[in-house]
Amino acid sequence: MDILGLIQSNLLTPIVLFFIFGIIAARIKSDLKIPDAISEFLPIYLLAAIGLHGGIEMRNTGFETMLVPMLVAIGLSLLFTLNHYQILRRLGKFNLFDSYALASTYGAVGAVTFSVGLSFLKNQGVTSEGFLAAVLAVLEPVAFILAIFLTNMAVSKQIKSKKESLGDISDSEIEMGISETKTNLKQVLHESITGKAIVILLGSIIIGYAIGEEGFSSISIVFDELFTGAIVIFLIEMGIIAGQRLDDIKKVGVFLIAFSIIMPTFNGIVGVLVATAIGLSLGGSVMFGLLLASASFIAAPAVLRHAIPQAKPSLYITSALGITFPYNIIVLLPIMFIVSSIVHDEGSIDLFNFISKGLI
Amino acid sequence: MKLYNVKLLTVTCEILAQKNIIDILAKHNISGYTTYEVEGNGARGLRGQGLKNEKNVKVEVIMQEEKLQDVIEEIARTLFTNFAVVLYVSDVGVLRTEKFV
Repeated sequence: MDILGLIQSNLLTPIVLFFIFGIIAARIKSDLKIPDAISEFLPIYLLAAIGLHGGIEMRNTGFETMLVPMLVAIGLSLLFTLNHYQILRRLGKFNLFDSYALASTYGAVGAVTFSVGLSFLKNQGVTSEGFLAAVLAVLEPVAFILAIFLTNMAVSKQIKSKKESLGDISDSEIEMGISETKTNLKQVLHESITGKAIVILLGSIIIGYAIGEEGFSSISIVFDELFTGAIVIFLIEMGIIAGQRLDDIKKVGVFLIAFSIIMPTFNGIVGVLVATAIGLSLGGSVMFGLLLASASFIAAPAVLRHAIPQAKPSLYITSALGITFPYNIIVLLPIMFIVSSIVHDEGSIDLFNFISKGLI
Repeated sequence: MKLYNVKLLTVTCEILAQKNIIDILAKHNISGYTTYEVEGNGARGLRGQGLKNEKNVKVEVIMQEEKLQDVIEEIARTLFTNFAVVLYVSDVGVLRTEKFV
Protein backbone atom coordinates (compact mmCIF):
# COMPACT_ATOMS: atom_id res chain seq x y z
CA MET A 1 0.00 0.00 0.00
CA ASP A 2 1.78 3.14 -1.11
CA ILE A 3 0.05 6.01 0.64
CA LEU A 4 2.88 8.39 -0.14
CA GLY A 5 2.67 7.54 -3.81
CA LEU A 6 -1.03 8.34 -3.93
CA ILE A 7 -0.54 11.57 -2.00
CA GLN A 8 2.22 12.48 -4.40
CA SER A 9 0.10 11.86 -7.46
CA ASN A 10 -2.79 13.71 -5.81
CA LEU A 11 -0.46 16.67 -5.36
CA LEU A 12 -0.01 16.84 -9.11
CA THR A 13 -3.70 17.24 -9.91
CA PRO A 14 -4.80 20.65 -11.21
CA ILE A 15 -7.06 21.22 -8.20
CA VAL A 16 -4.30 20.89 -5.64
CA LEU A 17 -1.71 22.67 -7.77
CA PHE A 18 -3.96 25.69 -8.30
CA PHE A 19 -4.75 25.80 -4.60
CA ILE A 20 -1.04 25.87 -3.77
CA PHE A 21 -0.55 28.42 -6.53
CA GLY A 22 -3.16 30.64 -4.87
CA ILE A 23 -1.31 30.40 -1.55
CA ILE A 24 1.94 31.38 -3.24
CA ALA A 25 0.29 34.29 -5.03
CA ALA A 26 -0.95 35.59 -1.69
CA ARG A 27 2.42 35.09 -0.03
CA ILE A 28 4.29 37.13 -2.65
CA LYS A 29 1.63 39.80 -2.15
CA SER A 30 0.41 39.64 -5.71
CA ASP A 31 -2.77 41.55 -6.45
CA LEU A 32 -4.18 38.44 -8.09
CA LYS A 33 -7.79 38.05 -7.07
CA ILE A 34 -10.86 36.27 -8.36
CA PRO A 35 -13.61 38.90 -8.83
CA ASP A 36 -16.15 38.93 -5.97
CA ALA A 37 -19.08 38.05 -8.15
CA ILE A 38 -17.36 34.94 -9.46
CA SER A 39 -16.19 33.70 -6.08
CA GLU A 40 -19.73 34.13 -4.79
CA PHE A 41 -21.17 32.43 -7.83
CA LEU A 42 -18.92 29.37 -7.80
CA PRO A 43 -20.11 27.79 -4.53
CA ILE A 44 -23.68 28.12 -5.79
CA TYR A 45 -22.69 26.51 -9.08
CA LEU A 46 -20.83 23.68 -7.33
CA LEU A 47 -23.77 22.96 -5.03
CA ALA A 48 -26.19 23.01 -7.97
CA ALA A 49 -24.02 20.50 -9.84
CA ILE A 50 -23.70 18.25 -6.77
CA GLY A 51 -27.45 18.42 -6.19
CA LEU A 52 -28.35 17.64 -9.80
CA HIS A 53 -26.08 14.60 -9.87
CA GLY A 54 -27.42 13.43 -6.54
CA GLY A 55 -31.01 13.86 -7.66
CA ILE A 56 -30.50 11.98 -10.91
CA GLU A 57 -28.87 9.07 -9.13
CA MET A 58 -31.53 9.00 -6.44
CA ARG A 59 -34.09 8.55 -9.19
CA ASN A 60 -32.32 5.32 -10.09
CA THR A 61 -31.73 4.04 -6.58
CA GLY A 62 -34.82 5.29 -4.76
CA PHE A 63 -35.10 6.83 -1.33
CA GLU A 64 -35.05 3.75 0.91
CA THR A 65 -31.32 3.15 0.50
CA MET A 66 -30.68 6.63 1.79
CA LEU A 67 -32.38 6.32 5.16
CA VAL A 68 -29.80 4.35 7.14
CA PRO A 69 -26.72 6.29 5.93
CA MET A 70 -28.55 9.55 6.58
CA LEU A 71 -29.42 8.65 10.17
CA VAL A 72 -25.95 7.25 10.83
CA ALA A 73 -24.37 10.42 9.44
CA ILE A 74 -26.53 12.64 11.66
CA GLY A 75 -25.74 10.50 14.70
CA LEU A 76 -22.00 10.57 14.03
CA SER A 77 -22.01 14.29 13.34
CA LEU A 78 -23.71 14.98 16.70
CA LEU A 79 -21.43 12.57 18.53
CA PHE A 80 -18.31 14.09 17.00
CA THR A 81 -19.47 17.60 17.84
CA LEU A 82 -19.86 16.63 21.51
CA ASN A 83 -16.52 14.85 21.42
CA HIS A 84 -14.80 17.92 19.92
CA TYR A 85 -16.29 20.08 22.62
CA GLN A 86 -14.96 17.89 25.42
CA ILE A 87 -11.50 17.80 23.86
CA LEU A 88 -11.35 21.54 23.23
CA ARG A 89 -12.77 22.51 26.60
CA ARG A 90 -10.90 20.03 28.81
CA LEU A 91 -7.61 19.48 27.01
CA GLY A 92 -7.41 22.67 24.99
CA LYS A 93 -8.66 24.95 27.79
CA PHE A 94 -10.66 27.04 25.35
CA ASN A 95 -13.55 29.05 26.76
CA LEU A 96 -17.09 27.80 26.41
CA PHE A 97 -17.94 29.89 23.35
CA ASP A 98 -14.80 29.14 21.37
CA SER A 99 -15.11 25.45 22.25
CA TYR A 100 -18.67 25.19 20.98
CA ALA A 101 -17.94 27.28 17.89
CA LEU A 102 -14.93 25.16 16.98
CA ALA A 103 -16.70 21.91 17.87
CA SER A 104 -19.55 22.70 15.49
CA THR A 105 -17.25 24.01 12.76
CA TYR A 106 -15.55 20.62 12.77
CA GLY A 107 -18.81 18.72 13.21
CA ALA A 108 -20.32 20.51 10.21
CA VAL A 109 -19.59 19.71 6.58
CA GLY A 110 -17.67 21.58 3.92
CA ALA A 111 -19.36 21.79 0.55
CA VAL A 112 -16.15 22.82 -1.20
CA THR A 113 -14.30 19.86 0.31
CA PHE A 114 -17.15 17.65 -0.88
CA SER A 115 -16.78 18.96 -4.44
CA VAL A 116 -13.04 18.33 -4.39
CA GLY A 117 -13.74 14.79 -3.14
CA LEU A 118 -16.13 14.11 -6.01
CA SER A 119 -13.59 15.30 -8.50
CA PHE A 120 -10.87 13.21 -6.81
CA LEU A 121 -13.02 10.09 -7.18
CA LYS A 122 -13.78 10.95 -10.79
CA ASN A 123 -10.05 11.11 -11.34
CA GLN A 124 -9.69 7.62 -9.85
CA GLY A 125 -12.52 6.31 -11.99
CA VAL A 126 -14.65 5.49 -8.94
CA THR A 127 -18.29 6.45 -8.43
CA SER A 128 -20.13 7.26 -5.22
CA GLU A 129 -23.75 7.08 -4.14
CA GLY A 130 -25.86 10.02 -5.31
CA PHE A 131 -27.82 10.30 -2.08
CA LEU A 132 -24.70 11.60 -0.34
CA ALA A 133 -25.66 14.99 -1.77
CA ALA A 134 -28.83 14.80 0.32
CA VAL A 135 -26.77 13.77 3.35
CA LEU A 136 -24.61 16.84 2.73
CA ALA A 137 -27.69 19.06 2.78
CA VAL A 138 -29.06 17.54 5.96
CA LEU A 139 -25.74 17.55 7.80
CA GLU A 140 -25.09 21.20 7.01
CA PRO A 141 -27.15 22.65 9.90
CA VAL A 142 -27.07 19.71 12.34
CA ALA A 143 -23.83 20.42 14.19
CA PHE A 144 -24.55 24.14 14.43
CA ILE A 145 -28.00 23.60 15.85
CA LEU A 146 -26.62 21.29 18.54
CA ALA A 147 -23.78 23.64 19.46
CA ILE A 148 -26.02 26.69 19.57
CA PHE A 149 -28.60 24.87 21.66
CA LEU A 150 -25.96 23.71 24.15
CA THR A 151 -24.34 27.15 24.31
CA ASN A 152 -27.69 28.73 25.08
CA MET A 153 -28.34 26.13 27.76
CA ALA A 154 -24.95 26.71 29.35
CA VAL A 155 -25.38 30.49 29.26
CA SER A 156 -28.85 30.49 30.81
CA LYS A 157 -27.60 28.07 33.46
CA GLN A 158 -24.76 30.45 34.27
CA ILE A 159 -27.13 33.38 34.50
CA LYS A 160 -29.39 31.39 36.80
CA SER A 161 -26.64 30.31 39.14
CA LYS A 162 -25.23 33.82 39.26
CA LYS A 163 -28.64 35.19 40.15
CA GLU A 164 -29.06 32.57 42.86
CA SER A 165 -25.68 33.29 44.37
CA LEU A 166 -26.53 36.97 44.44
CA GLY A 167 -29.61 36.14 46.42
CA ASP A 168 -32.16 38.14 44.51
CA ILE A 169 -33.87 35.69 42.24
CA SER A 170 -36.34 37.35 39.99
CA ASP A 171 -37.96 34.58 38.03
CA SER A 172 -39.40 36.85 35.41
CA GLU A 173 -35.96 38.05 34.42
CA ILE A 174 -34.63 34.53 34.12
CA GLU A 175 -37.61 33.52 32.08
CA MET A 176 -37.08 36.53 29.88
CA GLY A 177 -33.49 35.47 29.30
CA ILE A 178 -34.53 31.94 28.48
CA SER A 179 -37.25 33.01 26.08
CA GLU A 180 -34.73 35.28 24.42
CA THR A 181 -32.38 32.38 23.78
CA LYS A 182 -35.29 30.34 22.49
CA THR A 183 -36.18 32.86 19.83
CA ASN A 184 -32.51 33.06 19.05
CA LEU A 185 -32.41 29.31 18.37
CA LYS A 186 -35.55 29.49 16.28
CA GLN A 187 -34.08 32.32 14.26
CA VAL A 188 -30.84 30.44 13.71
CA LEU A 189 -32.76 27.34 12.70
CA HIS A 190 -34.72 29.33 10.17
CA GLU A 191 -31.64 31.12 8.88
CA SER A 192 -29.56 27.99 8.45
CA ILE A 193 -32.32 26.01 6.78
CA THR A 194 -33.25 28.79 4.39
CA GLY A 195 -29.58 29.65 3.84
CA LYS A 196 -28.50 29.70 0.22
CA ALA A 197 -26.37 26.56 0.47
CA ILE A 198 -29.19 24.30 1.60
CA VAL A 199 -31.81 25.90 -0.61
CA ILE A 200 -29.78 25.52 -3.81
CA LEU A 201 -28.68 22.02 -2.85
CA LEU A 202 -32.17 20.73 -2.06
CA GLY A 203 -33.65 22.56 -5.03
CA SER A 204 -31.17 20.99 -7.43
CA ILE A 205 -31.69 17.53 -5.92
CA ILE A 206 -35.42 17.82 -6.55
CA ILE A 207 -34.90 19.18 -10.06
CA GLY A 208 -32.31 16.48 -10.79
CA TYR A 209 -34.76 13.87 -9.55
CA ALA A 210 -37.50 15.31 -11.74
CA ILE A 211 -35.53 15.64 -14.97
CA GLY A 212 -33.50 12.41 -14.83
CA GLU A 213 -30.72 11.47 -17.25
CA GLU A 214 -32.49 12.55 -20.43
CA GLY A 215 -33.39 15.98 -19.09
CA PHE A 216 -29.86 16.43 -17.80
CA SER A 217 -28.22 15.80 -21.17
CA SER A 218 -29.17 19.27 -22.39
CA ILE A 219 -27.36 20.98 -19.48
CA SER A 220 -24.60 18.46 -18.86
CA ILE A 221 -22.05 20.59 -20.67
CA VAL A 222 -22.37 23.18 -17.91
CA PHE A 223 -22.99 21.01 -14.89
CA ASP A 224 -20.84 18.02 -15.72
CA GLU A 225 -17.93 18.85 -17.98
CA LEU A 226 -17.19 22.21 -16.41
CA PHE A 227 -17.36 20.92 -12.83
CA THR A 228 -13.67 20.23 -12.18
CA GLY A 229 -12.63 23.38 -14.02
CA ALA A 230 -14.93 25.46 -11.85
CA ILE A 231 -13.46 23.91 -8.70
CA VAL A 232 -10.01 24.82 -9.96
CA ILE A 233 -10.98 28.48 -10.35
CA PHE A 234 -12.61 28.51 -6.93
CA LEU A 235 -9.56 26.93 -5.34
CA ILE A 236 -7.35 29.74 -6.64
CA GLU A 237 -9.50 32.05 -4.53
CA MET A 238 -9.44 29.64 -1.56
CA GLY A 239 -5.66 29.44 -1.88
CA ILE A 240 -5.37 33.23 -1.87
CA ILE A 241 -7.53 33.54 1.23
CA ALA A 242 -5.70 30.71 2.98
CA GLY A 243 -2.39 32.30 2.03
CA GLN A 244 -3.42 35.64 3.49
CA ARG A 245 -4.22 33.85 6.72
CA LEU A 246 -1.00 31.88 7.03
CA ASP A 247 0.37 34.38 9.53
CA ASP A 248 -2.69 33.90 11.71
CA ILE A 249 -1.98 30.20 12.02
CA LYS A 250 0.80 30.98 14.47
CA LYS A 251 -1.75 32.79 16.61
CA VAL A 252 -4.17 29.87 16.91
CA GLY A 253 -1.68 27.86 18.93
CA VAL A 254 -0.11 24.45 18.76
CA PHE A 255 -3.07 22.69 20.34
CA LEU A 256 -5.57 23.89 17.73
CA ILE A 257 -3.15 23.13 14.89
CA ALA A 258 -2.83 19.56 16.15
CA PHE A 259 -6.58 19.38 16.70
CA SER A 260 -7.35 20.51 13.16
CA ILE A 261 -5.21 17.71 11.74
CA ILE A 262 -5.85 14.84 14.15
CA MET A 263 -9.63 15.23 14.51
CA PRO A 264 -10.42 15.17 10.78
CA THR A 265 -8.18 12.13 10.36
CA PHE A 266 -9.94 10.30 13.18
CA ASN A 267 -13.45 11.37 12.09
CA GLY A 268 -12.72 10.59 8.45
CA ILE A 269 -11.37 7.11 9.03
CA VAL A 270 -14.18 6.25 11.45
CA GLY A 271 -16.55 7.55 8.77
CA VAL A 272 -15.02 5.34 6.08
CA LEU A 273 -15.21 2.26 8.32
CA VAL A 274 -18.77 2.91 9.43
CA ALA A 275 -19.87 3.62 5.86
CA THR A 276 -18.32 0.35 4.71
CA ALA A 277 -20.08 -1.48 7.52
CA ILE A 278 -23.48 -0.14 6.46
CA GLY A 279 -22.82 -1.17 2.90
CA LEU A 280 -21.69 1.91 1.00
CA SER A 281 -19.46 1.47 -2.04
CA LEU A 282 -15.73 2.19 -2.13
CA GLY A 283 -16.24 5.71 -3.41
CA GLY A 284 -19.30 6.29 -1.27
CA SER A 285 -17.35 5.39 1.86
CA VAL A 286 -14.63 7.89 0.96
CA MET A 287 -17.24 10.63 0.47
CA PHE A 288 -18.98 9.66 3.70
CA GLY A 289 -15.67 9.86 5.54
CA LEU A 290 -14.96 13.19 3.88
CA LEU A 291 -18.32 14.56 5.03
CA LEU A 292 -17.39 13.81 8.62
CA ALA A 293 -13.77 14.91 8.26
CA SER A 294 -14.47 18.24 6.62
CA ALA A 295 -14.87 21.50 8.48
CA SER A 296 -17.16 24.29 7.42
CA PHE A 297 -15.59 27.63 6.57
CA ILE A 298 -18.12 29.36 4.34
CA ALA A 299 -21.33 28.64 6.24
CA ALA A 300 -19.76 28.58 9.71
CA PRO A 301 -18.95 32.27 10.13
CA ALA A 302 -22.37 33.35 8.85
CA VAL A 303 -24.17 31.13 11.35
CA LEU A 304 -21.83 31.38 14.32
CA ARG A 305 -21.26 35.12 14.21
CA HIS A 306 -24.94 35.58 14.97
CA ALA A 307 -25.55 32.62 17.20
CA ILE A 308 -22.32 32.64 19.25
CA PRO A 309 -20.89 36.13 18.69
CA GLN A 310 -18.58 35.74 21.68
CA ALA A 311 -16.49 33.13 19.86
CA LYS A 312 -13.48 34.43 17.98
CA PRO A 313 -13.96 33.93 14.23
CA SER A 314 -10.21 34.15 13.69
CA LEU A 315 -9.91 30.79 15.48
CA TYR A 316 -12.51 28.80 13.61
CA ILE A 317 -12.03 30.29 10.16
CA THR A 318 -8.26 30.10 10.25
CA SER A 319 -8.11 26.52 11.50
CA ALA A 320 -10.83 25.25 9.14
CA LEU A 321 -9.63 27.04 6.01
CA GLY A 322 -5.93 27.41 6.69
CA ILE A 323 -5.15 23.98 8.12
CA THR A 324 -7.94 21.43 7.80
CA PHE A 325 -9.04 22.20 4.25
CA PRO A 326 -5.58 21.85 2.64
CA TYR A 327 -4.83 18.82 4.81
CA ASN A 328 -8.11 17.18 3.81
CA ILE A 329 -7.77 17.65 0.08
CA ILE A 330 -4.04 16.93 -0.16
CA VAL A 331 -3.34 14.25 2.44
CA LEU A 332 -6.50 12.85 3.99
CA LEU A 333 -8.42 12.14 0.78
CA PRO A 334 -5.75 9.70 -0.51
CA ILE A 335 -5.46 8.15 2.96
CA MET A 336 -9.21 7.59 3.17
CA PHE A 337 -9.23 6.25 -0.38
CA ILE A 338 -6.62 3.67 0.56
CA VAL A 339 -8.38 2.75 3.80
CA SER A 340 -11.61 2.35 1.87
CA SER A 341 -9.84 0.26 -0.78
CA ILE A 342 -8.41 -2.05 1.88
CA VAL A 343 -11.71 -2.57 3.68
CA HIS A 344 -13.53 -3.07 0.40
CA ASP A 345 -10.89 -5.66 -0.37
CA GLU A 346 -10.58 -4.88 -4.02
CA GLY A 347 -8.40 -1.82 -4.08
CA SER A 348 -4.94 -3.32 -4.32
CA ILE A 349 -5.21 -4.04 -8.03
CA ASP A 350 -6.84 -0.72 -8.90
CA LEU A 351 -4.36 1.11 -6.82
CA PHE A 352 -1.43 -0.70 -8.37
CA ASN A 353 -2.71 0.19 -11.80
CA PHE A 354 -3.21 3.75 -10.74
CA ILE A 355 0.24 4.16 -9.27
CA SER A 356 2.01 2.48 -12.15
CA LYS A 357 0.04 4.70 -14.52
CA GLY A 358 1.05 7.68 -12.43
CA LEU A 359 4.69 6.71 -12.60
CA ILE A 360 4.68 6.28 -16.36
CA MET B 1 -33.82 77.47 2.02
CA LYS B 2 -33.96 76.66 5.67
CA LEU B 3 -31.91 73.70 6.90
CA TYR B 4 -32.95 71.83 10.01
CA ASN B 5 -30.37 70.36 12.36
CA VAL B 6 -30.42 66.57 12.76
CA LYS B 7 -27.82 63.94 13.61
CA LEU B 8 -26.03 61.60 11.26
CA LEU B 9 -24.96 58.34 12.86
CA THR B 10 -22.25 56.46 10.98
CA VAL B 11 -21.40 52.90 11.98
CA THR B 12 -18.55 51.03 10.30
CA CYS B 13 -18.73 47.37 11.21
CA GLU B 14 -18.21 43.84 9.99
CA ILE B 15 -20.87 42.78 7.55
CA LEU B 16 -22.25 40.14 9.90
CA ALA B 17 -23.09 42.83 12.47
CA GLN B 18 -25.12 44.79 9.94
CA LYS B 19 -28.27 42.84 10.67
CA ASN B 20 -27.93 43.50 14.40
CA ILE B 21 -27.57 47.23 13.77
CA ILE B 22 -30.60 47.34 11.52
CA ASP B 23 -32.61 45.35 14.06
CA ILE B 24 -31.69 47.89 16.73
CA LEU B 25 -32.74 50.74 14.43
CA ALA B 26 -36.04 49.01 13.72
CA LYS B 27 -36.61 48.59 17.45
CA HIS B 28 -36.41 52.37 17.78
CA ASN B 29 -38.75 52.88 14.84
CA ILE B 30 -36.09 54.00 12.43
CA SER B 31 -36.65 52.38 9.06
CA GLY B 32 -34.44 54.45 6.79
CA TYR B 33 -30.72 53.86 6.42
CA THR B 34 -27.99 53.55 3.79
CA THR B 35 -25.29 50.88 3.71
CA TYR B 36 -22.27 50.32 1.55
CA GLU B 37 -19.40 47.86 1.53
CA VAL B 38 -16.05 49.28 2.56
CA GLU B 39 -12.51 48.16 3.21
CA GLY B 40 -10.07 49.33 5.78
CA ASN B 41 -7.59 48.68 8.52
CA GLY B 42 -8.18 48.84 12.23
CA ALA B 43 -7.77 47.26 15.62
CA ARG B 44 -8.87 43.90 14.25
CA GLY B 45 -6.51 43.99 11.30
CA LEU B 46 -6.95 44.60 7.60
CA ARG B 47 -10.61 44.05 6.81
CA GLY B 48 -12.68 43.76 3.67
CA GLN B 49 -10.63 41.13 1.88
CA GLY B 50 -11.28 37.50 1.26
CA LEU B 51 -14.49 35.79 2.25
CA LYS B 52 -17.74 37.57 1.64
CA ASN B 53 -18.69 37.19 5.29
CA GLU B 54 -15.59 39.02 6.41
CA LYS B 55 -16.30 42.20 4.51
CA ASN B 56 -16.88 45.51 6.24
CA VAL B 57 -19.91 47.68 5.83
CA LYS B 58 -20.79 51.27 6.62
CA VAL B 59 -24.28 52.11 7.84
CA GLU B 60 -25.49 55.71 7.75
CA VAL B 61 -28.62 56.82 9.53
CA ILE B 62 -30.11 60.26 9.96
CA MET B 63 -32.22 60.78 13.07
CA GLN B 64 -33.41 63.29 15.62
CA GLU B 65 -31.19 63.93 18.59
CA GLU B 66 -33.76 62.51 21.06
CA LYS B 67 -33.47 59.03 19.63
CA LEU B 68 -29.75 59.08 19.15
CA GLN B 69 -28.70 58.40 22.75
CA ASP B 70 -30.86 55.28 23.07
CA VAL B 71 -29.69 53.91 19.75
CA ILE B 72 -25.97 54.37 20.35
CA GLU B 73 -26.31 53.08 23.91
CA GLU B 74 -27.84 49.85 22.63
CA ILE B 75 -25.28 49.44 19.85
CA ALA B 76 -22.44 49.99 22.30
CA ARG B 77 -23.88 47.61 24.88
CA THR B 78 -24.72 44.74 22.56
CA LEU B 79 -22.04 44.90 19.87
CA PHE B 80 -18.84 46.56 21.05
CA THR B 81 -17.39 43.56 22.91
CA ASN B 82 -17.86 40.93 20.21
CA PHE B 83 -17.83 42.75 16.89
CA ALA B 84 -15.51 45.06 15.01
CA VAL B 85 -17.43 48.34 15.24
CA VAL B 86 -16.52 52.01 14.85
CA LEU B 87 -19.25 54.53 15.54
CA TYR B 88 -19.40 58.29 15.26
CA VAL B 89 -22.01 61.02 15.12
CA SER B 90 -22.02 64.25 13.15
CA ASP B 91 -24.29 67.25 12.78
CA VAL B 92 -25.99 67.56 9.44
CA GLY B 93 -28.65 69.78 7.97
CA VAL B 94 -31.69 68.50 6.11
CA LEU B 95 -34.48 70.23 4.27
CA ARG B 96 -37.36 67.94 5.11
CA THR B 97 -37.07 67.22 8.80
CA GLU B 98 -40.34 65.28 8.85
CA LYS B 99 -38.61 62.48 6.92
CA PHE B 100 -36.25 61.79 9.80
CA VAL B 101 -38.33 61.24 12.87
